Parts: sequence; structure tokens; C-alpha cells
Amino acid sequence: MKHALQVTALRKTVHVGFRRRPVEILKGVDLAVDANDVFGLLGPNGAGKTTTVKVALGLMRPSSGSVELGVAGLGRVGYLPENPYFYDYLSGREFLGFCARLFGDDAATRRERVETLLEDVSLREAADTHLRKYSKGMLQRIGIAQALINDPELVLLDEPMTGLDPLGRVEVKRIIERLHERGKTVLFNSHILSDVHELCSRIAIMRDGRVIWTGSVDEALAGAETLEDFFMRVVQA
Amino acid sequence: MRQVRAIAVNTFKETIRDRVLAVIVVFALLMIAGGLWLGSISLGEQGRMMKDFGLAAVTGFGLIVAVFIAAGLVHKEVEKRTVFVLFSKPVSRGAFIAGKFLGLCATMAVVLAGMGLFLFALVGILDGRASGMVLVATAMIYVQLLTVMAVTIFFSTLGSAILASVLGICVFVAGQLSQNVLSLTRLGKNPLTEAISWVVYVVIPNLAAVDVKAGVVGEETLAWGQIGLWTAYLAAYIVVVLALAAVIFRRKEF
Repeated sequence: MKHALQVTALRKTVHVGFRRRPVEILKGVDLAVDANDVFGLLGPNGAGKTTTVKVALGLMRPSSGSVELGVAGLGRVGYLPENPYFYDYLSGREFLGFCARLFGDDAATRRERVETLLEDVSLREAADTHLRKYSKGMLQRIGIAQALINDPELVLLDEPMTGLDPLGRVEVKRIIERLHERGKTVLFNSHILSDVHELCSRIAIMRDGRVIWTGSVDEALAGAETLEDFFMRVVQA
Repeated sequence: MRQVRAIAVNTFKETIRDRVLAVIVVFALLMIAGGLWLGSISLGEQGRMMKDFGLAAVTGFGLIVAVFIAAGLVHKEVEKRTVFVLFSKPVSRGAFIAGKFLGLCATMAVVLAGMGLFLFALVGILDGRASGMVLVATAMIYVQLLTVMAVTIFFSTLGSAILASVLGICVFVAGQLSQNVLSLTRLGKNPLTEAISWVVYVVIPNLAAVDVKAGVVGEETLAWGQIGLWTAYLAAYIVVVLALAAVIFRRKEF
């Protein structure tokens, strides 16, 4: 099976404070995400999920270990950061146009892509409103749209459901399902385990900078009533 | 190159629409118009007073815009984490720095053109004839401020926005004085102080060399050949400083 993302023995130490005290955030993360999988990365706050994704994207450098993207570079990757913030004085349409320009799309492709995505995330009516007037849920949706602007093969979503109302959550879930149907690979971090259960085929659970369990959702549910029960058992073990 | 252009256009849109900028520009225009009152209390030197005070206001307000926007430009992207969106795409740190600088250059051009044309019109009304030299002086102020912007962006990759602003203003002041300080220390014949002023003279951009305000008000004759060479020197200085900023920024983690 081809991996869309493979992380091997990944370690990351940062230095904090005046005395540059070393803090090890990642302590040897091993992770493999298969192509065309919807993969859930779970774990309590501070487990290292976001850092793992940042290292995968090159936003942070690994102290040791390796990250291999199974796609042709960052040009084929989409990323939604946690609690995204964008440019206040740009409209949604301008912002997506700007993101498309970064990939060098021609004007016609750019326009078509931007309009399709605005439709997909239900922001067509607010397309010409400045982003500073967007609600948290709208920002989350424009964030998902910018992550998909290059029609990526691998999509990394950090807490994509945060701040969304039930309707917004359904829309994002539909987007993830459509991506899966189109053969894309999706990795997302989430604390909402019901969404993970609904969407993911495989999951990994992280705690204290390590992956402590990885397998399919069916395997997880074999010995527990709900994913939440299983998660609690693994994390508290 | 297309990424630099995209970032530059985005930066221009973002900065030119900022309400703080609009407030500063309105205030600057009021100050320039205040030169009319100063001129009215001078004795027969209305036009000269207007040019002198107006160009000083253009420089002062231009400096405020240049330093405070340049200092926040890179810092705000890091602080508000918009860099996550940019650098998770195939965008190089060098393209980011270059795009930010060029976008701010465009904003600065609009701001200074507005102030310069306003002053040009006022001087024309007072003198009864157009003074193209006011526009030339505004263009040379633009060259000075571009240099200060590049230096401020460089400092903003090293530390906080406030520190970058303060250092940007310090470089502007030092850049006006470094030539004079070097000349003065040469008179003292102390090799140590002369060496120190020479180092300062080399490191700090010589902004006074392209200052043509005295020429505009008729206090001195301008040597355009030399001014052209100093402008080329400042352009090279900007390129070097931005390249250093890109090297430092490349090492940053987010």
C-alpha cells in the first residue's frame, strides 16, 4: 500500500525561556497514512498532534527522524491550521484568489476554482465581504476552501470542526466525504470523537509526544462500546 | 516571481485599506495645509516656508507610515499565524520577504504621491507657478523611506515589532547624520573615533546624500550626478538588507 504520509521516529525538541530549557515535544512518532484514507489523529491537548503536522509541512524542522510525503511536494498538499486567522481587509473571494495565485493558476482556472469552492463551503453570498466581518464558523469554512484551492491529494485539517454550528459541521463532514470519494487522502486532528467515528477508517492516538495506538476504527470498536470509551481506556492506560 | 507578485498585491490591498493609514494620511494633509498659516506669519517668504514645512511634514508622516507598517508587516503574519497558510504552500521565505517589501513600496508610493501632489498644488497656489522640484524632493524622500522600510523589515525578522520600529527610526536619524559625524571626527584627528564613525558611516545607509530639500528651497545647488550614484547605492543597500532578512527568516520555525 502506498503511503500518502509516513513519519518515522520523529523527534522534536524546542528550547523555551531565558535559559533555553529544552522541552521534548515529540519523542519518536511513527505514523503511516495510506493513500485515499481518511485518517484521524487523536490525543489530549499537548500530545503533539499539531507539531507532527507542522513538521510534516516544513513549518518546523525535525530534531531527528523523518517525514516522507507520498505526494509530489507541498504543491499537492492542502492545510487548514487550528483556529485560522486570515487577512482582515480582504474579501473571501480575494483571499481565495490570492491563494490560487500562489500556485500559479491561470486566471480562468483560478476563477472557476474559487467560485466552485465558495459554493462548496456555502460562502457565495458572503464572498465579497471582508474577512474581518466573518464569524468563526465562516472563517473555518473559508480556511477549508483555501486548503483545497490547489485540488490537493493530501489534505491536513487541524481541528476542522472547531467553532462550527451543527449545520457547519455537517457541511465539513460532507466535504471530507467528497474528498474521500474523489480518491484524496485526509488526515485530521479532532477532539470530536463522534465525527472521527463517522468519517475515519483508521486512527492513531497520541499521548505525551508518542503514538500509543494505531489501527482501524473497527479494531478500536471491537473491544469497546464507543470510540470515546476506547480513547479513554488507551489514554489513561 | 508570480508568488512575489501575488504577495505584493495582497500586501498592497491589505495595507492600503487599513483605516489607521487613512487617519495618518488625513492628519498629514492637515499638517501640510498648516504650512499656509506658517507662511502667512512669515515676511514675504510664504512659498519657501510652505515648501520647507510641507516637505518636513511629508518626511515625518512618511516615516511614521513606513516604520510602523514595515515593522508590523512580517510580525503580524507570524503573530496571527497567517504564515501557516502561506508556508504550507510552496512559497519560499525569500519570496515572502520580497513580496511584502514590494507591496509596501506600492502603498508608500500612493501615500507619498498623495502628500506630494497636495503640497505641489498648495505651493503652486501660493507662488502662482508650479514647482516641479517639490515632486522631485518627494521622490527622493520616497527613496530614503524605502531604505528605512527595508531596514525595519530586517529588524522585524530578528525581534519584536516595537523594537523594529524604534531601530528603524534610529537608522533614519543616524542616516541623516552619519556623513556629518564622519566629517567632524576627521577634524578631531583621533584615529579611534574616526574609525568608529567610518564603520557607522559604512553600516548605516547615507540618507542625507539623497536629501534634496535644501536645494528645493534654494539653499544649495544640487549635484544630480552624485545624487544618482547615491540612489543606486541605496538600491543596492536595500537588496542586501532584504537578502539578509530572508536568510534570517528562513531559519525561523512557526
